[in-house]
Amino acid sequence: MARAATAAPPASHATAKNGSGKEADLDIKKLDAKKYLRFYEQMVHIREFEELCDHAFRQGTHGIGGYLHLYSGEEAIAVGIIGAMDVENGDAFIGHYRDHAYALAAGSEPGEVMAEICGKATGCSKGKGGSMHICDAKLGFYGGYGIVGGNVPIALGLAWAIKYRGENRVCACFFGDGSMNQGGFHETLNMAQLYKVPALFVLENNGYAMGTSIERSHANPNLASRVESYAMEYHVINGQNIFEVHEQVAAIVESMRTNPRPVFLEMKTYRYHGHGAADTQVTQSTYRSREEVEDWKTHRDPIRLAEQALMEAEILTEEERERIHTEAVEAAKAALKFSDDSPDPSPDELLTDVYV
Amino acid sequence: MAKHRYADALALALGEEMDKDDSVFIIGEEVGQYLGTLQVTKGFLAKYGPNRVVDTPISEVGIIGLGIGSAMAGLRPVCEMMRLDFSLPAYDQIVQHAAKIRYMFGGQFKVPMVIRGPSGVGRQLSAQHSQALEVLFAHIPGLKVVVPATPADAYGLTKAAIRDDNPVVIIEALRMYFEKPEALEAIQPGLSEIPEGDDWIANIGEAKVLREGKDVTLIGYSTMTISCLRAANLLAQEGISAEVIDLRSLLPLDMATPLASIKKTHRAVVVQEQWGMYGIAAEISAQIAERGFYDLDAPVQRVTGAFVPMPYSKALESLAYPHEEDIVVAAKRTLGGK
Ligand SMILES: Cc1ncc(C[n+]2csc(CCOP(=O)(O)OP(=O)(O)O)c2C)c(N)n1
Ligand SMILES: [Mg+2]
Repeated sequence: MARAATAAPPASHATAKNGSGKEADLDIKKLDAKKYLRFYEQMVHIREFEELCDHAFRQGTHGIGGYLHLYSGEEAIAVGIIGAMDVENGDAFIGHYRDHAYALAAGSEPGEVMAEICGKATGCSKGKGGSMHICDAKLGFYGGYGIVGGNVPIALGLAWAIKYRGENRVCACFFGDGSMNQGGFHETLNMAQLYKVPALFVLENNGYAMGTSIERSHANPNLASRVESYAMEYHVINGQNIFEVHEQVAAIVESMRTNPRPVFLEMKTYRYHGHGAADTQVTQSTYRSREEVEDWKTHRDPIRLAEQALMEAEILTEEERERIHTEAVEAAKAALKFSDDSPDPSPDELLTDVYV
Repeated sequence: MAKHRYADALALALGEEMDKDDSVFIIGEEVGQYLGTLQVTKGFLAKYGPNRVVDTPISEVGIIGLGIGSAMAGLRPVCEMMRLDFSLPAYDQIVQHAAKIRYMFGGQFKVPMVIRGPSGVGRQLSAQHSQALEVLFAHIPGLKVVVPATPADAYGLTKAAIRDDNPVVIIEALRMYFEKPEALEAIQPGLSEIPEGDDWIANIGEAKVLREGKDVTLIGYSTMTISCLRAANLLAQEGISAEVIDLRSLLPLDMATPLASIKKTHRAVVVQEQWGMYGIAAEISAQIAERGFYDLDAPVQRVTGAFVPMPYSKALESLAYPHEEDIVVAAKRTLGGK
């Protein structure tokens, strides 16, 4: 029997009680092979996209400025959760500034995402928002936001609108561990539970907010348990394992449709790059070791774990694997080329979109 | 006189005040172990320890509230905002509490705290990370607002702010942080120098003539003071002599210095980085109109940013805030040019 490779989070990630009480024990052969091949492919595409962004930023010639926050290492979360939603039919999601992957996982045009990161007229936000402010209204992506915790109260409103209209939709809200120390986060969770809105609060616990570890910034480092005070249902999930992420979240999302309520998910994960482009090897050395990063890359990489499991289950062949990687590299390059070939926003764009 | 970068001048001032007064401490995100987001507090944690260099969660309301309460109780907190934009979650603490406590309780308490952090346009940081929010603070009775443009003032005004018994917001010029002394000296000799010895500090509420001239007065603050100096250099090439005034403090506001200059030049251009609607330049212009109207030979000109959230694309970003060329055009307009 093929099993999802399990990767226990290391001790530095405080463990929380899993609200569902279930340990993931998945027989991959019984799962939807086509779906997981697609998820695997998506994760590889996102990884190559992000790595090319990093490279293009360093080249300095493609128009990328600002901070540039990359998602490498966390792909299974965006792919597995957005993959559990029906973004074409009214499910909504909203994120923070580490946001390229949300759009790509939902199926946004990679060229338009890249063009936004490069500040081009063809970018999804017309070059006005940049890397931190990707969005795709037609796919229910209500945008990436730059103020820590700023997107969380907005998710309450998105979910409220679903409830108001009596739809069986859900709204997912992605945010980092740093957000849980903002006051607005706590107002939001209380109200969400009070009003029973269908909001899925997705904590991407990557162990750090910029250079500050969980232990140095949360009096109670068992983050999921913090929502117990709002009497909210919560689950702790290994965010590095696409099978665990998707199977659990898909079941939760479906149950939210018939039984509308907020649910909090703590996804244990890790970011490979510095916080943003300004967080160099030197600044990273103030808060984490290279060994720690390497350990995650070697033992808990979401792509590698998926690859192993899919190959063991004979769902993915070596040739397929190679084809997917080659295509992902090409797709990322094509996105950058689309951006490079695109014009800058025209000067009259400066004054448009301030008002409707 | 030693030459310094702006960021180093801030560090020097903070360190000296911490050395001098045990009640001064620094609190903020990434100020300690990470050595400061922009390295202003590099080495501080090792030197002063975690009681005086306090790393916090991302909790601006808590940071400012801790500052207010501890200031009321006799300490001298310096609250660092990683960017001043991030003070907005704590705007209520600043406006409704820090600024009101002295008056509302009939003078029984004082709130000697500093709120500081980099502000203004950076390098494509877009709408939520590029604002120059000084008007939101300068509108509030009970606060003081200083706007250092030069390394000397980054040093002197920071020290003055820490010693002041009122809540003082220091609007730091992000784009000046890492300007090399040579680059500043090339704009104007002496621009990177900090007076030494005799425990020099700046006086909050005094503007300064940074360059003398006779044809037109350019009034700026923060990064825009430097743009005014650059504009004055350009104007000089065309035989126009511009006087440059650096406001240095917005609250209290020294209008005597600009008014005296206008008496001489009869023309004024007021420059601010952020959009002009209801802005700082509007206040300065109104005061000139009220108190210096008969000295003027031409309408006061404002040079301000576009009335839009800051766009990301470099192509749009550079259209959204004033450059020295815009100041030159405005100056010529006061001189009858088009
Ligand atoms: C209110 C506010 N304070 C500070 C910042 C600066 N800042 C941006 S991201 C960040 C760290 C956030 O970490 P986390 O929420 O864990 O998300 P991650 O970057 O790890 O994905 C900080 C301090 C900000 N953007 N907004
Ligand atoms: Mg984090």
